[in-house]
Amino acid sequence: MIEYLLFATFIGLLFHGIHRKVIARVQGRPGPPIWQEILHTLKFSFKETWIPKTASQTLFVGIVFVAIAIWSGALFILLSGGSILLLFAVYLLHKIVEHGMGLSTGSPYTKFGAIRSVISAASELPLLVTVVAIYFFTRSLSIADIAAYQEVHGPLLILAFPAAVAMYLVILSKMHYGPFSIIEAKEIVSGNMTEHFGVWRAALEVAYALKTYVLLYAFVLIFIGSLPLALTLLVMLLVLVSLSFVCAVTPMLSPYDTVTIQTLVTGALVIYILILGVVMG
Amino acid sequence: MFDLPTANIGGPDLFVLEFGDIVAYFSPYTAALFVFALIFTVLVIVSRPERQVDIAFGGDAYYTKVVDPDLLRFQRFMAIACGLATLGAVVTGDVFNFTLFASMVGITNIGIVAAYRNRHVLNAAFQYGIVAMLATVPLFGGAAIVLAGTGTLSMWELFGGAMAVPLIAKAFLVLGVMGEGMAPFYIAKAEITRAQGAPFILMVHVSSLLLFLRVTEIVISM
Repeated sequence: MIEYLLFATFIGLLFHGIHRKVIARVQGRPGPPIWQEILHTLKFSFKETWIPKTASQTLFVGIVFVAIAIWSGALFILLSGGSILLLFAVYLLHKIVEHGMGLSTGSPYTKFGAIRSVISAASELPLLVTVVAIYFFTRSLSIADIAAYQEVHGPLLILAFPAAVAMYLVILSKMHYGPFSIIEAKEIVSGNMTEHFGVWRAALEVAYALKTYVLLYAFVLIFIGSLPLALTLLVMLLVLVSLSFVCAVTPMLSPYDTVTIQTLVTGALVIYILILGVVMG
Repeated sequence: MFDLPTANIGGPDLFVLEFGDIVAYFSPYTAALFVFALIFTVLVIVSRPERQVDIAFGGDAYYTKVVDPDLLRFQRFMAIACGLATLGAVVTGDVFNFTLFASMVGITNIGIVAAYRNRHVLNAAFQYGIVAMLATVPLFGGAAIVLAGTGTLSMWELFGGAMAVPLIAKAFLVLGVMGEGMAPFYIAKAEITRAQGAPFILMVHVSSLLLFLRVTEIVISM
């Protein structure tokens, strides 16, 4: 498990680098090398570290460990073929990490990030609808059962396409530099991450790398099925590049537009679920 | 006696804890939620609040707000009570107990926020309190309809699939929990975060998210 955690962290950081590179190339800039995020993480690991005097010290530090713990747990859920309901739980609990990071410092910038995180809570709803839609087809929420279902009936990407779109939107809303990345917008410095630097930032980079890896891996497992590792990584990379394109050509939305779009998507998916309920009983 | 059906979406039950007729159970799902609630309850107990920094308009000046020790004690007490209610809600095996714990979470959330003496925060607490109190009607109504429709409130019975739980009961339960703090009734929360005491304010969010996760499991399983 430890070696897989290290592998997922490395790939996640590499994906973050590729994400930045693709965005830059689409926008006509050279962009940083793709291993830049790995170098960032190493750099932060050896920088001087302290805790702001105004911070709630225990929470400031504790929340970083919680971030790593929940995404490590999520990776374990995926590898063990556990329940996507638990995965959904982890995704929701990540919201607590965002709140906690922003609120714990006392800084007005991080607090703005935390408040934006609160009002963008609608981004979780499409994932819930995805979970329900998948349950309609597979009658199980176990990832192992979902993979087995797809071996017999074909990928859910085709069977439950609107649910796949919803999950794609969920991943998009957690990508750096995306249209929904309002909690770390530059007008509030780095948002809720502003005061976490040094080792704390390195640890957060690791947690976020795990998050990106887990979300992309979950997308492949849930909507395409169980594939050999190399092919899985390739499909994850393709999904990531498509997300990077969206991020590159879409300006960051205002907080209220973010909520509106996510709520509208959820509403459309609820209608889809109702139709599924009528058609499939 | 307390074996969950094997197809239970939260996973098989690992451990059952009986307090007379009140029975809590741990499945992989409820255990994960319990551990998370426990971590944040411990954080509430051991953490001191942050000192908020405000920037004065029209200059480079900034100032830090003073932490009132009395307020700190009350907020911590309410946050710990909220943590305990959340712990109960995520592991209980009885629909009525779940609704009781959920309403207790709503009450303690109001207490956490209303302790802070700021006009905006108190307004937010007042609005939140009204929504939370109104939400207890569908919350307990949902449990009552479950009892009336099936003759039991035990999750072991209800999760078995032999009993048809009315859809309206499920909708009421979800609506009730949403009213205790989830979107789209969380409008007041952005104002709530003005209040000092990050570890305690965070418990408002932790409790409502965990309640929502638990009610999702209950509603899908029934």
